[in-house]
Amino acid sequence: MAIKHTILGLLIYVTIAAYLLACVALMAGRRKVGRAVFVAGFFVAILSFIYRWYDVRHVPLQNLFEVFLFLGMICYPISWFCWRVLRIGGQWTDALIGAVVLVPAGFVFNAEPMPLPPALQSWLFAPHVTVYMLSYIFMAKAAFQAGEQLLGTAGRASSHKMSWRAGTFALPPEQATYELITIGFPLLTLGLVLGSWWGKLAWGDYWGWDPKELWSLASWLAYLGYFHWRYMFGKKHPHINSIWAIAGMLAIIITLLWVNLSRLFPGLHSYAT
Amino acid sequence: MSQFRRAVLWAALTAIILLALLSIYGAFLGAERAQAFFNSLPLAFYWFALAALLVTGIAVFRRLLEVPSLLLLHLGSILVLAGGMWGSNAGHAMQKELFGLDRITKGLMKMEISDRTPQSRVAVEDSSDTLELPFSVRLQAFRLEYYTPGYLLIQSRTGQTWKLPADAGAQVSLGDLGKMTVERVFQNFKLALEEGKHVAYDAPGDSNPALQVRMEKPDGTATAGLVFAQFEPMFPEPIDLNLSYQRTVKDYISELEIVQDGKVVAAKAIEVNHPLHYGGYHFYQHSLDEDARGRYTVLMVVSDSGLNLVYGGYMMLAAGVFWHFWGRRILTAIESRRMMTPETRETLPKIAGQHG
Repeated sequence: MAIKHTILGLLIYVTIAAYLLACVALMAGRRKVGRAVFVAGFFVAILSFIYRWYDVRHVPLQNLFEVFLFLGMICYPISWFCWRVLRIGGQWTDALIGAVVLVPAGFVFNAEPMPLPPALQSWLFAPHVTVYMLSYIFMAKAAFQAGEQLLGTAGRASSHKMSWRAGTFALPPEQATYELITIGFPLLTLGLVLGSWWGKLAWGDYWGWDPKELWSLASWLAYLGYFHWRYMFGKKHPHINSIWAIAGMLAIIITLLWVNLSRLFPGLHSYAT
Repeated sequence: MSQFRRAVLWAALTAIILLALLSIYGAFLGAERAQAFFNSLPLAFYWFALAALLVTGIAVFRRLLEVPSLLLLHLGSILVLAGGMWGSNAGHAMQKELFGLDRITKGLMKMEISDRTPQSRVAVEDSSDTLELPFSVRLQAFRLEYYTPGYLLIQSRTGQTWKLPADAGAQVSLGDLGKMTVERVFQNFKLALEEGKHVAYDAPGDSNPALQVRMEKPDGTATAGLVFAQFEPMFPEPIDLNLSYQRTVKDYISELEIVQDGKVVAAKAIEVNHPLHYGGYHFYQHSLDEDARGRYTVLMVVSDSGLNLVYGGYMMLAAGVFWHFWGRRILTAIESRRMMTPETRETLPKIAGQHG
């Protein structure tokens, strides 16, 4: 853990503070204040991303620091889309996800700019990482909804209470989990396919059996299993539906973090540390 | 749902869970061993069983035939599996046995950078065999490109490091140790003898990059020296610092020609992400090698067997998934909006605005 005494570090800390404040305000039912602070945090996050882009002179998605900066930026637009289009609530969780993903960017990951190695100089680099990150936020939201569903009656009651107090209508957690996964899964699939295509152009193999590839396949399969299970049983076993969604998210976290950080899984993607 | 269909669904779910668990297990093995594991005989049975299961699913579930998006994504999965199997080592062996197609699955060509002789021998991967391509490859030129500027890396004995851009005039304070300045940047450092004195000059080319630097000590004395990218630094007197001229490679480029029956039939400057495709093979810029006899560009040669099946499968899979989960939802939304009366259409956004 180290504090970044840079302009970028300051922007990240301001965003984290704004997101946490938004989270607390939204949880307390102060919707207008919460959303205003969330939007303000989002604009600071955009500023951080643009600043980084200018600094490194390439799309800043090269390493974990830049990827987490991007994740922190996309939380608000995804939250807005989920509410306005899908009628999925839990905006406080979106603000919390935003703050949580920015903590390692602000305190843990190395922010030293690095030139792009030859393999990353591909037009597929940005779309591959972008669609994956978008899908990850949708899946993280789905996991939160699944967690809420798993919490049982008490969790549901408090959630509904909050929704009604706010005078809003939101989908119940099980349905919301399904809706979110149906949005995230195509992006996850596209990320896998683009990565495979890029791998073929860069390394000669569309599938290299690299640990990160295998974990990303495991994540994809977890959601594929979710769809098959839900097709077979519908909402008959909502707890098991939720466990599938949470298992998928755990596999995503390992794909994103552990594989890059752990020496257990050396491979092609190790440069992304 | 009939018992048979239910059994097929359970089998599909089991196959998915099994593959997820095998993937996690494979991740602990590392890429090389995982590749061997997923290409082993028991796993070959698994791949065939999975393909058969997908075909059975399409045959017994009318829904998979009636919903085009579901059909696309299941057929896409079958194509990816078929392409993968066709392009594997076992697939190549089967092609040779059944159709007499003798293709190298994957291998390396090591080409001496200054040698323009066409070469057709490929060292086969995971084997001591060397096989011939039905045509030759000639290396016309090889070049390395670097990010500019490079930098001077300065390390003190206590472990402190500084990075100074390799730009003339760039300067850094070293604290108690003094000050370091880059005075001149050479792409190709050479010395000439003029009137009995050695004079440094920048010759054409880029074979000997160097920096002329000046170290000023806190006591006011200064010493100038040379820091090379490929050789040890040269200073008239020892200094208490480790210096190196670092340059980051931007790209490796091999200009290739394919020669068949004495004619050049294809040519391309290949680099990472930009392979050459000819005669059923892709040629990739793999690495740069060096030994006592010279420098070599190493090309990876990969057969394209099964690749179109895999790419076709990917396209169908992606199109099917997007159509199923996004396309149908968007169409339904458009349709229901069209069915709304103008009054409802005006009222809804207001309600959404109030609640959102």
